[in-house]
Amino acid sequence: MADSTPISRSSESILATNTVLRNTYALLAMTLLFSAVMAVVSMSVGIPRGAAMICTLAGIGIMMFVLPKFQNSTAGIGLVFLCTGLLGLGIGPMIAAYLSYPNGPATVATAMAGTGGIFLALSGYVLTTKKDFSFMGGFLMVGLIVLFGAIIVSLFTAMPALNMAISAGMILLMSGFLLFDTSRIINGGETNYINATVSLFINIFNIFTSLLHLLGVMGDD
Amino acid sequence: MDPWMKFVWAGLLGVFIWRMIPTARHWLKNGPRGSSKEWMTTAMLLGGVVLFVLILMKSV
Repeated sequence: MADSTPISRSSESILATNTVLRNTYALLAMTLLFSAVMAVVSMSVGIPRGAAMICTLAGIGIMMFVLPKFQNSTAGIGLVFLCTGLLGLGIGPMIAAYLSYPNGPATVATAMAGTGGIFLALSGYVLTTKKDFSFMGGFLMVGLIVLFGAIIVSLFTAMPALNMAISAGMILLMSGFLLFDTSRIINGGETNYINATVSLFINIFNIFTSLLHLLGVMGDD
Repeated sequence: MDPWMKFVWAGLLGVFIWRMIPTARHWLKNGPRGSSKEWMTTAMLLGGVVLFVLILMKSV
């Protein structure tokens, strides 16, 4: 399993993997679009930051505690849209704040393009080579725990350098998770497209917000 | 950020960490080990991401 060379598998298994992959990318595209629409709605309505945070917490809560119970039913698809929509509503005020800066629209557009570029390049690499990146699991989990600890510290200290390091670390870690999650789909480790979609959505969402933060700092905003 | 928001986020992240520690232990103990070649490939890919982000930061 540790070997990164393509694994030879039965045609049924390959067919099942292709179905999961197709469903995952279709649902991912729809949820990303829906989340973007909700972010625009959030900006248009002018949702207060407190309400936005409640939306984000509700989205995360549904993902963590409710979605696992419905991941094998059609209700799971509705829940994926609900939690990604809530995350979109939650991110609205942050994007609105960046857009209000002089170079804001260019920064947001660059962050979106950059996120798309990272996603396409890494996913494309795994899809083309079919390499197995499951060996990264332990490293990524430990990295995420360390990063979450650093975020807790940064909440109660005013250290801009730490915030930048966290954003940079988050981009790297989520890029690693993109490799890991995509290879799990390709190699049959993830057979549920709802779970796969949520994993990829979270990776993309975190890369976008972290990249936006880094670009905002560099643009003197 | 309001103080209550900070405490809510810190609590949420604490729950995440608490829930992730057993998973991380499991992966470290039972997960597949990567060869040096595999880690080198990963490092090159992530290095490419770093380079790309640096270019984006310069362009803004």
